[in-house]
Amino acid sequence: MLRYIIRRLLLIIPTMFFVALITFSLAHLAPGSPFDKNPNRPMSQETIDRISRFYGVDQPVPIQFITYIGNVVRGDFGISFTRRTPVVDIIGQGIGTTFQLGLGALAFALAFSLPLGIISALKQNTIVDYASMLVATIGTTIPGFVTAIFLIYLFGVTLHLLPFVGWGSWQHMIMPMFVLGLAPGAFLTRITRASMLEAVRQDYVRTARSKGLGERAVVIGHALKNALIPVATIIGPATAGLITGSFIIESLFNVPGMGRLYVISIVQRDYPTIMATTLLYAFLIMIANLTVDIVYGVLDPRIKVR
Amino acid sequence: MATTAATQQQARAAELNVLARTQRSLWRDAWYRLIRNRAALVGLFIIGFVSLVAIFADFNLFGIHIRLAPYDPLLIKQNNQLMEPIWTRFFGSKFTDPAYIFGSDELGRDILSRLMYSSRVSLVIGVVPVTIVTTVGLLVGMTAGFFGGAVDDLLMRITDVVYAFPDLLFVIIIVATLRNTALGEAYDGLLIIFVGIAVVNWVGVARLVRGQVLSVKNREFVEAARAIGATPGRIMTKHIFPNILAPIIVTIAFAVPGAMLTESVLSFLGIGIRPPTPTWGVMINEGFVVFSTTPWPVLLPAICISVVLLAFTFVGDGLRDALDPRSKM
Repeated sequence: MLRYIIRRLLLIIPTMFFVALITFSLAHLAPGSPFDKNPNRPMSQETIDRISRFYGVDQPVPIQFITYIGNVVRGDFGISFTRRTPVVDIIGQGIGTTFQLGLGALAFALAFSLPLGIISALKQNTIVDYASMLVATIGTTIPGFVTAIFLIYLFGVTLHLLPFVGWGSWQHMIMPMFVLGLAPGAFLTRITRASMLEAVRQDYVRTARSKGLGERAVVIGHALKNALIPVATIIGPATAGLITGSFIIESLFNVPGMGRLYVISIVQRDYPTIMATTLLYAFLIMIANLTVDIVYGVLDPRIKVR
Repeated sequence: MATTAATQQQARAAELNVLARTQRSLWRDAWYRLIRNRAALVGLFIIGFVSLVAIFADFNLFGIHIRLAPYDPLLIKQNNQLMEPIWTRFFGSKFTDPAYIFGSDELGRDILSRLMYSSRVSLVIGVVPVTIVTTVGLLVGMTAGFFGGAVDDLLMRITDVVYAFPDLLFVIIIVATLRNTALGEAYDGLLIIFVGIAVVNWVGVARLVRGQVLSVKNREFVEAARAIGATPGRIMTKHIFPNILAPIIVTIAFAVPGAMLTESVLSFLGIGIRPPTPTWGVMINEGFVVFSTTPWPVLLPAICISVVLLAFTFVGDGLRDALDPRSKM
């Protein structure tokens, strides 16, 4: 197990290198630079040269890449083109908010998906089952920003119940967390239901019933315990969904997190920030996937990790 | 009443009796299962309707000219900005105009016409990149699965890297960085979205196809074909391909709305299709400025996206159940 974890951790390094290489190449393939001549504010060639030297963009691209990787290994992600402060500081300001939003959304998703999935599996083909499956289908299909629009219209513009710009108070957090958690939650509901349906038909559940256990003990102690194993594996991709969802939701609700920062830096072509946030996102996703694989191996000893 | 029930029951029994009824192919069977699924049927009708609207929004081919859209979607009319849809009149709105059934946006452009033209972009986005993705994914996946070796290793390494990116993040990086190149400007930004979606998604299809090929290629019927001297090309096209088609069809059914969603997200973030070309995502992006004043320029395209995406999901779910009745989820 330990060897497996170490090997997986080591595998992160080459993958991160390629992620960096791809993003870096794409960024430098693009023509123009943030210091292009602006007809309204002309800069002398001298100034442009000086700025280019300062940010190191006067070097050939491969040299720039090697320098960049060297700096990243030492924890230096460069200086933002547009804000003129170290990228690490900018990310540091946003990451807390993003984690807060993401964890809230995940908690919300788990809180509604598990009960809903279990109930619809236990009451298969009843109106309860159909209703929750319809909700789950809608939740996985309608994109978050569209749901957000309907909610903002209803609770923000029409009823004036919730603010929809900014971050801070719990009222600010309700809608973003709800919208962000909806899609992963809906997906988890479907998985929980399918997995629970499978579990209640197993022999060990029949055994538990036939030896006279109460319904509650059978469902929670025997069926659910085993049904949750596949559910656990979905939390990895769900986290990825939360991350990609967060930059749309954060932009929409003006939440000052990493996601909004990412979108802004893309629009402004602030490459150091784009590079750093992309690397961070990729890293988080790989860690999430690795965690899930490890948890999976611990939960289900039948799975042999290779 | 009783007799109808009895006849229905008889019909049902006859239906289930595979030997007695007229022989049908597996595909025809799947088709019957699909159209018996009510949600899938509704989905099919919606998709058909939207396709017709998209085609005939402004149809001018073979000397036939049909134009469903009441106005040019780019036509800006002064003094007619932010008209509300005509039904809001019954709720006391004073800003309606019978000339604008769905109202007008912040520049005085007709929302109905813009919605119609938007469906064209969505349809193209749904068809073109998915065709590319499927073709490339099939070719690479079948080669990798059937022959293994270097192609297989390379494919798996590429998948590892691409899987480390969230799909949408990767598309955004590609589209955003190449946005100001000739590629990014072609067809109002349509081409770069095709490229972005294709580059990111072919890997998933290739991986799926590879897995399917691996699970099929050692089965008896393939062995039998090989035994009678079929060439690898013939085995792949005549024996393996038809047997892995079902999961691929289901994947395509979900890839189409996925591509549409990607476009609307990109356009909504302001890095997709370039305004003034209307798409539902662009309309939401532009209308958001006036959202507190009047919600319709945003709500109507949002409803369109929701309905179309739901229609595709219903069809996709129906297809999955119809093609593989065992995997009902």
